[in-house]
Amino acid sequence: MNEDCRDVLDRLEIYLDGETQMDLEAAIQHHLQDCPPCLDRAEFERELRALVAAKCRDCAPPGLLARVRIRLRAAG
Amino acid sequence: MPSGTVRQELTDDQRREVFGRDALPYLDQLYSAALRYTRNPADAEDLVQEAFTKAYRAFHQYEPGTNLRAWLYRILTNTYINTYRRQQRQPTPVSVDAYRDGLEDGGDFSLYDRIAATTQAPAEVEFLRQLPDDEVKRALADLPEQFRMAVYLADVEGFSYAEIAEIMDSPIGTVMSRLHRGRAALHQALYDYAAARGLLPAATGDAGGSSDDE
Repeated sequence: MNEDCRDVLDRLEIYLDGETQMDLEAAIQHHLQDCPPCLDRAEFERELRALVAAKCRDCAPPGLLARVRIRLRAAG
Repeated sequence: MPSGTVRQELTDDQRREVFGRDALPYLDQLYSAALRYTRNPADAEDLVQEAFTKAYRAFHQYEPGTNLRAWLYRILTNTYINTYRRQQRQPTPVSVDAYRDGLEDGGDFSLYDRIAATTQAPAEVEFLRQLPDDEVKRALADLPEQFRMAVYLADVEGFSYAEIAEIMDSPIGTVMSRLHRGRAALHQALYDYAAARGLLPAATGDAGGSSDDE
């Protein structure tokens, strides 16, 4: 791991959040293309988030929509 | 700030129709968020009903064309915080500070590094796929309120920092710090659940199970 790697890994979380400035984003993308270990880590973090997202979703129980509509009707 | 009276002229029937068409499709998402916030299905249902009712009453303040989803989440989040604070009488900042201290060196936990160190191979997410949904939900539920909300809004709902700051009424820097620490704690808990279930192929005698020893 060199200094570039350290810089990229320091910013990886913000990069994966899609919150880096455009030029920095391009620089990180460029580094990831050329650096398999950093890319591997980035892919892991990306998949990890997707996994958490997939496992933490619920559907509203049956009947809730109808109950909300009744509340709205009562609210005017 | 614009007066936001655009919808004032809607009749009750029209308002109900527009709200039903534009806002109610978020029911599943808001319920999911409410369940993560309250950690309890009955409270989550109450919270969703309350939030939708408030949103409906305040719908004339919503500016058409702006982010309706974020607007609804903000109402849901405010409703939760107000209800929660009233019910629990527990000042949240205390638990957040305690948590922050507790995470003094846990804020930099890297699941990737931990798995790689344990299995002595490049880390794979595959191991974690076998974790039951309920354990992932519990790992998230165990985070203190402010961290749980930030991580949920970012990683499950995909809101931007600016949107989360708006929804939680917090500065962006605070959101980023909560996200960073919240994720570290969440990932550490996932590691512990995976280790407890024997999902990680152990390459050495030390499976790293001491990660949250005091």
